Amino acid sequence: MKSMELVKVLGAVGALAVAGVAFFTFERPPVNVVQRGYRGTGLDEIYNPRHLAAEAALNKVPAMLPQMQVGPLAKTVYKNVQVLGDVHVGEFTRLMASMTAWVAPKEGCAYCHNVNNMADDSKYTKKVARKMILMVRDINSNWTDHVKKVGVTCYTCHRGNNVPQYIWFKNDGPPEAGGFAETYTGKNLMIGPDHSSLPYDPYSAFLKQDPHTIRVQSTTALPSGDRHSIKQAEWTYALMIHFSTSLGVNCTYCHNTRAFGDWSQSTPQRVTAWYGVKMVRDVNINYLEPVQSMLPAYRLGPSGDGPKVFCMTCHQGAYKPLYGAAMAPNFPELYLASADTSTDSGDSGMTPAAPTETAPATATEPTTPSTTPPAAAPPAATPAPTTPMPPAASPAPTAQPPQP
Amino acid sequence: MAMYNFEQKYRVRGGTLLGGDLFDFWVGPFYVGLFGVSTIFFATLGTLLIIYGAAIGPTWNIWQIDIAPPDIKYGLALAPLKAGGLWQLITVCAIGAFVSWALRQAEISRKLGMTYHVPIAYSFAVLAYVTLEVIRPVLMGAWGVAFPYGILAHLDWVSNTGYQYLHFHYNPAHMIAISFFFTTTLILAMHGGAILSAANPQKGQPVKFGEHENAFFRDTIGYSIGTLGIHRLGLFCALSAAFWSAVCIVISGPFWTQGWPAWWNWWLQLPIWR
Amino acid sequence: MAGLVELVAAIADLALSNKKNAQENAMAEYQNIFTRIQPRGPIQTVPLPLGDDNRLGATHSHLLGIFGDAQLGPFYLGRLGVASLICGFIAFEVIGLNMLASVNWNFVQFIRQLPWLGLEPPPPSLGLTILPPLNEGGWWLIAGFFLTASILLWWARMYRRAVQLGMGTHVAWAFASAIWLYLVLGFIRPILMGSWGEAVPFGIFPHLDWTASFSLRYGNLFYNPFHMLSIAFLYGSTLLFAMHAATVLATGRYGSEREVEQIVHRGTAFERGMLFWRWTMGFNATAESIHRWAWWFAVLTTLTGGIGILLTGTAVDNWYLWGMKHHIVAPYPHIGVPDPGPLSAIGGTGAAQ
Repeated sequence: MKSMELVKVLGAVGALAVAGVAFFTFERPPVNVVQRGYRGTGLDEIYNPRHLAAEAALNKVPAMLPQMQVGPLAKTVYKNVQVLGDVHVGEFTRLMASMTAWVAPKEGCAYCHNVNNMADDSKYTKKVARKMILMVRDINSNWTDHVKKVGVTCYTCHRGNNVPQYIWFKNDGPPEAGGFAETYTGKNLMIGPDHSSLPYDPYSAFLKQDPHTIRVQSTTALPSGDRHSIKQAEWTYALMIHFSTSLGVNCTYCHNTRAFGDWSQSTPQRVTAWYGVKMVRDVNINYLEPVQSMLPAYRLGPSGDGPKVFCMTCHQGAYKPLYGAAMAPNFPELYLASADTSTDSGDSGMTPAAPTETAPATATEPTTPSTTPPAAAPPAATPAPTTPMPPAASPAPTAQPPQP
Repeated sequence: MAMYNFEQKYRVRGGTLLGGDLFDFWVGPFYVGLFGVSTIFFATLGTLLIIYGAAIGPTWNIWQIDIAPPDIKYGLALAPLKAGGLWQLITVCAIGAFVSWALRQAEISRKLGMTYHVPIAYSFAVLAYVTLEVIRPVLMGAWGVAFPYGILAHLDWVSNTGYQYLHFHYNPAHMIAISFFFTTTLILAMHGGAILSAANPQKGQPVKFGEHENAFFRDTIGYSIGTLGIHRLGLFCALSAAFWSAVCIVISGPFWTQGWPAWWNWWLQLPIWR
Repeated sequence: MAGLVELVAAIADLALSNKKNAQENAMAEYQNIFTRIQPRGPIQTVPLPLGDDNRLGATHSHLLGIFGDAQLGPFYLGRLGVASLICGFIAFEVIGLNMLASVNWNFVQFIRQLPWLGLEPPPPSLGLTILPPLNEGGWWLIAGFFLTASILLWWARMYRRAVQLGMGTHVAWAFASAIWLYLVLGFIRPILMGSWGEAVPFGIFPHLDWTASFSLRYGNLFYNPFHMLSIAFLYGSTLLFAMHAATVLATGRYGSEREVEQIVHRGTAFERGMLFWRWTMGFNATAESIHRWAWWFAVLTTLTGGIGILLTGTAVDNWYLWGMKHHIVAPYPHIGVPDPGPLSAIGGTGAAQ
């Protein structure tokens, strides 16, 4: 019975391997459940409190210097102050010190400045920093539909790194055999969002110039000419998984998944995310892509493009960056002075046009940062009508899947 | 109620687990027994509670009726009747009825001199139900994560609960469970087809028996598991389907809170790839 | 709770009665899960019908004999079998080599990423092009062609073996129901939609991505009534097999596994099995009819599933909205927000128009 012995040995090894996987690859109770919809619908966020504790430690607000709105204006004291000229010199110095701590804590002032002549613009980092200040001001003043009162500072993305940890480049994928073998489908590798085999570069498709349509679900019960393909749905799905993993939330944070497209069953956070998509595109087009020409080659991606932002750049796993701690309001110079809008610079002078569209209901802002998103407002006593909203402008018919 | 012509000799007293001779009788084709009584009690009460729940709800439309578990804030406590308490009572009734039914199957097995394969098999289905409605909620600390009683409502729960883990198809236990469901259905078709094709042969041919069933599968796929083996295999696959279904949902939440695709990262990070 | 108490009491009662009663003891032991004694005779076959090729080798396996029949083979290859295996092998190689190419012929990465790798149908822009470029879905069409050929040849072989052995063709027709679902997914529906790109990719995770995206694109497959039916039959098949197999095993000592004998001449085994279900739920099948139930449940799983897929995108474009139309959607009190508008264009706040 040699075969029996072999089977027993193989069985033991197999059982050991399975036990190892079962023991070491999973989490454990207790878990936190945050209800965000009517009971019994499964509209819940599920959190591992151990993970949250670890995340909270990574998302602490750094110590901030006290405000110093004193002294003459910076432009009267220093030379070549192009953006922050109308800031009091005390505040100017404070911001410079803060930026050093946020972006170049090791390198210090010399990371951007020629320390022998601080006005010198010879370092590329200084020119980029100037552009980034314009970007931060634009975001804080014109994108309040997304950043609300929390706002952003350099620290929101940089967290003490020269280059933010989470950025993206155009990704053509790892080398493939090519030739007449199947090539560059943009998917079916281990590098998809959340380690799935979904398309691995939905960012190029959706988060920059000429974006592809995100909405792929039909808005009519019966066919009415909507030619969005299943493959396109895979690209949208990949983007949405990026949203989820960036915010540390699941699909039900925004959607009732029984009807993903239906706004009448979605949470206010979906509107915030909607503005987020617009903001990220705007930032990539108007700030990150122009910066590309200033960057040295080693800062560029494999395809020669510059770094760009997506949800993860700011959120870094938290449903609000730094769990909603409002750092930016402590730095008034990181907002556009409403009168100064036109004087700052040509490309940041875009006036807000849209937020008049529809003012979405917003969840109440917690006063103190909390690691779990607030539960949704208790459901209304009367059932709301389940009629879906009339469809928005019907998406352009296209049979083409987004190509990375 | 008429009996089958061979039935009378099997209707003998005894074999009950509990209740002695008190309920040891038949009503029409049904055997009663103590557990028949408890089944009727729980099933009737549970059904009436569902009807009551529908009556105080917004609709009588059978597809839309929804009797939901309590809000998460109630944790594992009792909830007010109209805010999930009804669901809790119905769940108690359902478990009472299911367990009674299993014990009733055990009594009938004893009466007929059969082993306990049927009640044991049925217990796996009950286990899957209890996992969904009791074990997982207890592990997660709230009845509110259990599924609601409603035809479309429970599908909405499945959808949302699945998307809590971003892409539920990547759940390894879900993969195993589905594979067992498909396999069970495949071998059921093969077994049903084999018996029917032996008993209903080609025109003019005599009825075939086990030798031909074996020959058919040996000829076509190289192996015939045999008349007894196919029932062992079928039971194993069917119970595995129920068991892994229970596993796939009990690990979602209590033992995994992230997207299921991310779980596979351990495989990608094994040191053997370096 | 009451049920639990009863369960404990019943187990205690059972243990007591087992101690008291030797027959009960034997009953508890005889669970019919494994075969304890394996008598081994010559290889069993039925005579080959006229005109058939020879069968290929046969052997015994003790391991197989523990659970099922110990005899492995003999296998009948035949011309249909050879053709089917060749086609299947070609499809397998086309898929596998393309997967290997997608990791640049790196075997380690091939093993590591195997579940992630796939072979995609052509992009929808190529419509129903019969010969798309090889690297843009051409290989998918070739693999699909050979796999389909392999499956259809295998079907013919199942049908032919049944006829040659003088048996009914029930297995082949059940197989045809599964082939129906396969053809709907990869052939019929893509043709109706005018695009190979609608079809399922080959690959473990890729086909799961496709499945999820299919439901996302067409507004929640749970609201597709034929999907509901298919799942009901899938679960029903599993339930039926558990009920049937458990009944047969529980009456094994009365010879229940000789089912065709029980059909033509009912014995005490199936009398007991029938009465078990009659007493339990007021209704029972017979030795033959339980296999008809089984066959139909299994066949209807893929039959209804195929209908559900076929209707998706062709007759219904969003199953949730279809459900709204037919008043099956459960009303929840919920919070909703107005649609802020399409995200298809750059624009809105502060962006270049």
